[in-house]
Amino acid sequence: MKALVIDDSRVMRRIVSNILVEVGFETIEAENGRVALDQLESHGDVSLCCIDWNMPVMTGFEFVVETRKHPEWRNVTLMMITTEGEQDQIVRALAAGAHEYVIKPFTPEVIVDKLQFLGLVDVKESV
Amino acid sequence: MTIPATWEPLTAADPVLTIAQDLFSTMIDGEPGHLYPWMGENPPLEDPRYAWVDVSGPVVTRVMLMAGRATGEQLTRALLQMDDSEAVSDADFADAVGEIANVVGGNVKSLVTNPGALTLPVVTHEEPDMSKAFCLLETYFGWKGAPLGVGLWALAS
Repeated sequence: MKALVIDDSRVMRRIVSNILVEVGFETIEAENGRVALDQLESHGDVSLCCIDWNMPVMTGFEFVVETRKHPEWRNVTLMMITTEGEQDQIVRALAAGAHEYVIKPFTPEVIVDKLQFLGLVDVKESV
Repeated sequence: MTIPATWEPLTAADPVLTIAQDLFSTMIDGEPGHLYPWMGENPPLEDPRYAWVDVSGPVVTRVMLMAGRATGEQLTRALLQMDDSEAVSDADFADAVGEIANVVGGNVKSLVTNPGALTLPVVTHEEPDMSKAFCLLETYFGWKGAPLGVGLWALAS
């Protein structure tokens, strides 16, 4: 399975990618929502997007809204990974089409638990 | 109608310590116990760097991380799981220290009522001019024997 990690922080992209690789994902990266949309168009086999909220050019929230306008991407799982922890922000993201929401800071176990809940990782796999 | 942000929850119980310890135990050290309150007077920082995010809104509030260059390099290595002997590039340094400020700032923002948007992190060598800002909280921690600080300021609009 292929995952797209979207964060303007290279450090954070690397951390999230390392977790995903450990549980069997191939990862590609984007530094903002605009680049991520381009990546989705050029890679037709992305099954998971891990999305930061605050990014230049296009935010993660705008990316979620834009992605959900495309029927061909409706099977892509969208998981927000962000410092935006207010209840109304979480509700906004989920209402816009995100499937899961992780607040930074996080442990690898938290990410894997979410992926297991979403059925993207087998329960026996762990980091 | 303008509703001002409310910062009392932050200044009342020093949740910055809890936020910082949570961040360090999960993403930097991999276990709790390595970040602790700094006892005594606020310590000097050697070759300091400043990383901050602002919470916009009726009251613009700055959440700033302060650390010496060497401590920032250690933080970068820990986040990126680098060896102690590996050189830290300026880009990785700014990215890592900025992200720490971003995570602390985001969690601080979630504790207050009516916050605005969170800005992208800024990392500088020069101390920003805070002469017109009101300091809400400034606290120092020890990590691997070195001090690092977190400050919370209300900026004049």
